Amino acid sequence: MSQQVWKLVIVAEEVLSKKLTKLIKEAGATGYTVNAAGGEGSRNVRSTGEPSVSHTLSNVKIEVLTGTRELADKITKEIESKYYADYSIITYIYQVEALRDHKF
Amino acid sequence: MSEFLSLFLEQVQSPTLGFLIGGIVVAALGSQLAIPDSIYKFISFFLLMKIGLTGGIAIRNSNPSEIFLPAIAAILLGIVIVFISRYTLGKLPGIKVPDAVATGGLFGAVSGSTLAAVLPQLDAAKVPYEAWTAALYPFMDIPALVTAIVVASVYLSKKTGTSEKVEIWPIIKESLQSSAVTALLLGVALGVLTKPEPVYESFFNPLFRGFLAVLMIIMGMEAAQRMNELRKVAQWFAIYAFIAPIVHGFLAFGVGLIIHKLTGFSIGGAVVLAVIAASSSDISGPPTLRAGIPSANPSAYIGASTAIGTPVAIAICIPLFIGIAEMMLGR
Repeated sequence: MSQQVWKLVIVAEEVLSKKLTKLIKEAGATGYTVNAAGGEGSRNVRSTGEPSVSHTLSNVKIEVLTGTRELADKITKEIESKYYADYSIITYIYQVEALRDHKF
Repeated sequence: MSEFLSLFLEQVQSPTLGFLIGGIVVAALGSQLAIPDSIYKFISFFLLMKIGLTGGIAIRNSNPSEIFLPAIAAILLGIVIVFISRYTLGKLPGIKVPDAVATGGLFGAVSGSTLAAVLPQLDAAKVPYEAWTAALYPFMDIPALVTAIVVASVYLSKKTGTSEKVEIWPIIKESLQSSAVTALLLGVALGVLTKPEPVYESFFNPLFRGFLAVLMIIMGMEAAQRMNELRKVAQWFAIYAFIAPIVHGFLAFGVGLIIHKLTGFSIGGAVVLAVIAASSSDISGPPTLRAGIPSANPSAYIGASTAIGTPVAIAICIPLFIGIAEMMLGR
C-alpha cells in the first residue's frame, strides 16, 4: 500500500537545527529526518566536513513528510516569519509516494 | 629593551606558535591537509579537561577565597570589553551596531585554545601562577556573551520601537552547557572532589603538549580559511581584531597587577588573566551569538575572531605578557 504525501525540505544553518525540529513537531508533524548538508548559496559556501571549529558554517537538511499540504504550508510560514530574514535557509516541497502505511 | 626583545623572540619560537603559523601557511597554500572534525572536538575536550583537572587539584590544595577578586575582575572585564567595542568599533562609519556588539561579545568571551597555549608557555618560562586561574574562563566568557546579546537586543528594540525582553538565563544555560565550558568545569569538579592524580600523571599531562600542537595547526588552518570571509566585510573589523586583543590584554594585566598588590595574586596569574581577556572565543561563542543576535553578520565577527583575533592573541599577546612578567620578576 502506498499513499500520496507532501515532502517538505528545509536546508538551514546547523545552529537552527534544534529550533526547527521543535517547530516542526509543535506544528503537528509526526516526524522528520535530519542530514548534514553542504553547498553554496547567496550567503557563501557552507559545507560540512572541513574543520570548522564552531559549526556556524555547517548546514543541515531537514525532511518532513506531511499528509496535507496545509500542514506543510503552516510549517513553512512559521519558518519564514521567524528565520528567513537573518539566516541562510531555503525550503522547497514536492509530492511523494510514501510506501509504508502510516498516518502522516 | 633588547632584553625584552630576546625574551619575546624566545616565546615566538615556541612549538605552540610554530605549529600555529605552520597551519596558516599550509592552508593559505591551498593544501588538502584535513584534520577530521571529530578529532578536533576530542582534542579541545581533552585540553580543557586537563586544564580543568589541573585547576581543580590546585583549588583542593588552596584557599578558595583567593579566587574571589580575580573572578570579579574577570566578570567586569568581560562586560567592559563589549562596551568598548560598542562605543569604538560601533561608532565607525559603515559599521552596523549589532555587528560591532557581536564582535565585542566574541572578543570578550574566551578561547579554550589560547588558554591551553599560555599555560605550558608560562611553565616553560618558569613564571609561577596559580593553577586555578584557568577556572576564571567561564567568569569572563559568560558575562561577555550575555552582555553582547542584551546590548544588541536593547539597541535593536529601541531602533524598531518594539520592546522585546531578553531572557538572560537561557543564554547562561547555553554557555554552561557548551562543550568547552562543560569540559573545563567537569575537570575542575573531578579535580576538587576526586583524586584523579593517577590518570592525570599517566594520561592527561604527558599528552597535553602534543595535542596542543595539533590543535594549533587546526586553529592556523581555520584562521587562513576564515580570512576569505573577513575580506568581504569592512576593513575596520580586521583592524579592530588586530588591536583589540592587545588593548584588552593590557587592561586585564593592569587589573591583575592591582590585585597582585592587594592580595598577592601572582604576576603569572595576571598574565593568565591578560591572555584570557586578549583571547576571543572560537568554539562556544559563535553559535551562541548567531542564535542570540541573528541580525549580526557572522562573517564579520567570526572572521574577525578566528582569522585575526586568535592568531594575535597566541602569537603576540602570549609572548608579550610573559615577556613583561619575566622583566618584572627581574630575569
